[in-house]
Amino acid sequence: MSSIIIDTSASRKVRELLRFLLESGKIDAAVTMRKIPEDSSYDLALITDASNLDEAVPIVPVMTVNAGQVLSSISTSGKKIAVVLKPCELRAFVELVKREQGSFENLLTISHTCGGVFPLDLVAAGKIEELLPKYEKIISKGEVPANTRDTCRACEHFIPMNADITVAVAGDCESGKGCVMYLNTDKAEEYAEGFSGERGELKFDPSALKKMLDARLLEKEKLFASITEDGPGLDRLLDTFGKCIGCHGCNSVCPICYCLLCDFESANFDYNLPYFEEHLSRRAALRLPPDTIFFHLGRLTHMSFSCVGCGMCSDVCPVGIPVAAVFRKTGEKTAALFDYVPGRDVEESIPVMVYKEEEFSDIG
Amino acid sequence: MTDSERKGAVLPAAKEPGDAVLDFLRLVMEKKLADAVILPLKVPSGDSYAWILMNDISLLDDAVPIAATMPVHGAKALRSLTRKGPGNLTVIAVMRPCEIRAAMELEKLGQVHPDNLILATYDCPGAVQLQKYVDDPAGSEKLFTEMMQKGKPDDSAKPVCHYCENFSMFDSDIHFGHLGLSDKEMFVIPGSSKGSKFLEELGLTPAVDLSAWEEGIDKLKTDRKKARKSAFEETGVQLRGIDGLLSVFANCIGCHNCQSACPICYCRLCYFDSETAEQNPDALIIAAEKRGGISLPEDRILFHTGRMAHMSLSCVSCGQCSDACPVSIPVAGVFSYIADQTQRTFEYIAGRNDGDPLPLRQFRKSELPGVHELVKDADAEVSSHE
Amino acid sequence: MKKEFTPRITSFLCKWCSYTGADLAGTARLQYPTSIIPIQVMCSSRVDPVFLIKAFLNGSDGVLIGGCHPGDCHYETGNYHARRRFAIVKSVFDSLGLESKRLKLSWISASEGPKFARVANEYTEEIMKLGENPTRKSIFL
Ligand code: SF4
Ligand code: SF4
Ligand code: SF4
Ligand code: SF4
Ligand code: FES
Repeated sequence: MSSIIIDTSASRKVRELLRFLLESGKIDAAVTMRKIPEDSSYDLALITDASNLDEAVPIVPVMTVNAGQVLSSISTSGKKIAVVLKPCELRAFVELVKREQGSFENLLTISHTCGGVFPLDLVAAGKIEELLPKYEKIISKGEVPANTRDTCRACEHFIPMNADITVAVAGDCESGKGCVMYLNTDKAEEYAEGFSGERGELKFDPSALKKMLDARLLEKEKLFASITEDGPGLDRLLDTFGKCIGCHGCNSVCPICYCLLCDFESANFDYNLPYFEEHLSRRAALRLPPDTIFFHLGRLTHMSFSCVGCGMCSDVCPVGIPVAAVFRKTGEKTAALFDYVPGRDVEESIPVMVYKEEEFSDIG
Repeated sequence: MTDSERKGAVLPAAKEPGDAVLDFLRLVMEKKLADAVILPLKVPSGDSYAWILMNDISLLDDAVPIAATMPVHGAKALRSLTRKGPGNLTVIAVMRPCEIRAAMELEKLGQVHPDNLILATYDCPGAVQLQKYVDDPAGSEKLFTEMMQKGKPDDSAKPVCHYCENFSMFDSDIHFGHLGLSDKEMFVIPGSSKGSKFLEELGLTPAVDLSAWEEGIDKLKTDRKKARKSAFEETGVQLRGIDGLLSVFANCIGCHNCQSACPICYCRLCYFDSETAEQNPDALIIAAEKRGGISLPEDRILFHTGRMAHMSLSCVSCGQCSDACPVSIPVAGVFSYIADQTQRTFEYIAGRNDGDPLPLRQFRKSELPGVHELVKDADAEVSSHE
Repeated sequence: MKKEFTPRITSFLCKWCSYTGADLAGTARLQYPTSIIPIQVMCSSRVDPVFLIKAFLNGSDGVLIGGCHPGDCHYETGNYHARRRFAIVKSVFDSLGLESKRLKLSWISASEGPKFARVANEYTEEIMKLGENPTRKSIFL
């Protein structure tokens, strides 16, 4: 497999690649982040005309929506599409494909080593431009920027798994230039044929990112500890989720939660008055609307083993609950039971769809 | 009951308006005039409130009837309790005027069954924005106490509160009047025949003249009306044309938090989240090809304008949508501006409990003269209204 | 004086094995505590994780799933799936520090009346030791 040395900024090189692919007709559309200068805002865009690529910023530490989630609505169009995804977005999409919510067949996936993304409130405040230079410097040194999402700082999967093309922007190069684009698959070679740039035979070396990995593992330990730091149990859970307003924003931006109508919003959990009367007689009081903790515990059991730690849920929570940290921690523990890593391999079935006869002998 | 005949009863003196309300509720429970109470209680982490349905009088000690912020809209609490119909439980709830108004709208929509509810409200000075409250509960409480004293919202309050005209004596069963009164007085005023009967049974005969309080409220109302006019003028300019709309919603990520926090949007599965509204992959590509590119997730502007069309007639300008937006879009400013226009078209006021059905549930054979021109005139009307 | 604590153990028992086992315990006049509140399900795999959670949050002091022994499920593989789901719920509870001892899965065949009585007795005892579920009184759930 070959590599391409990047002589300009990594983001620009990817933009050039997308332009090349669109103009040469190798793809019909590209999915990439884009900057909207007049509003100093960012969005994810589906672009079919190369002239619309000028505003594209394929590699930018902003995630307005988990691209994996969005991809599930376009990946089956039959058109050839190149997508630029952050590693956790790619992993989320893998989880969705396992759930028959998308397909890799006509996709060329481009991902990059990821320094983490900024929280949405910084995006909304128009602060990204101003923060970028320092961010790039920090990640080029293989360090962890302090003002990114908490689950980003604690994410050890910042090297893309299974991308057709990996752009190394963190740790081993100035993301200004000198970075390398690795073509990992035959598909990548085929698409990139004819694209300009100095070719080489470089192999991606994760050890260059050891420092970043260590720093992140340390952050992860701290983040996970913070969830139960004042003692575990029901009280702690109520402390964390007690102020939840039940908007279910965490669920609606979660790439894994693909159900059109979540069980917890369905008529299954509508109660008639006798239900409340019965609770009143037993507890003397109850919360309205009910089922706040139920929703979170339920979602945790339904999907946390597939949580990719993208942090969207925490970012949209209007009351600042660290949803992602809880889901990431619980999810990791649960996935470990099945030696499962969300997004690792599209051929791997999700744990609830399969079983082994000989397992959990301590249960039952 | 016309305004001029309106009389109230004086509640026994208490330290703060909230305490007087609690004393009132204790009396209600002691006399067994209600089986349970719905009030805000501080959540265990202390940085927000939750609605609690309670029948244990001792819990009243911890309740905060006039809470500084409004995390979950009260009408949603009432909806979860009575959506499936009324029961045998008589429940009294104390909520903000915009919460009671939304409950009235939900009743018309068949989502709240208030038959056995006694809905009480109070002169609302405004509510502290939720994120501000969560970030600094103690500071926010202090600011809110000042707001209560002045009867006016400050910078920490939701923007829509600054120009809310319906902050006092809307169509509740019972109203607690305290704003604009000099000392620690509080009036309890019946607002419906149900409320009158209730107060009677409680032994509180409304015999006191309310003109001093009413004058105070009127003065505050005048200020809010002024603020409303200028806020809407500004919003009208911002929203001008499709570019204006796009620019206001530029940062929207399509999370639909605004919709799920909205008390009026009761649909279990919003049309805009449903399969019907979902574009198939091919249609998306075609849409992108037409313009050279489109923004994802698709149809965010359709969502917002669609929601305006679906529910703005019932929007009570509570501001919950803005509070829930993760990217600080002034959703409520936009919706209350639109609501003002759509509601005026039908001479409808959302939340008014006067037997008027929802405008879209009725029609007259001859109405809306020149409706074709209405759109054109909308611009002109912005500045000329009131 | 402290009020006597009577645990409530919501028990989801599969129709083909465990529920029949419980029946057998009854007809054989084996003693098992009244704390067990049996609910018949067609198969242990019918028990969605949310059933366990709902029962737990509604104040059940213990939640029991009873199914056929591995390999014996009437629907062949239902109990293997049930076991995985149970493992997930347990792990979620453990990682949050919730008392996962309040959840139990047990294989009880149609002929194991005595085993049912033993499990019911032992589990009730264990729950007695744990005491009342704090969710019973919690109002912020
Ligand atoms: S986003 Fe936050 S407030 Fe909304 S449901 Fe999730 S945890 Fe609760
Ligand atoms: S639970 Fe939160 S962090 Fe995990 S995948 Fe979903 S949105 Fe991302
Ligand atoms: S649209 Fe916004 S302001 Fe209007 S009722 Fe809904 S949440 Fe309140
Ligand atoms: S809450 Fe804000 S970001 Fe979410 S859909 Fe509404 S306007 Fe858009
Ligand atoms: S039928 Fe008994 S476990 Fe499936």
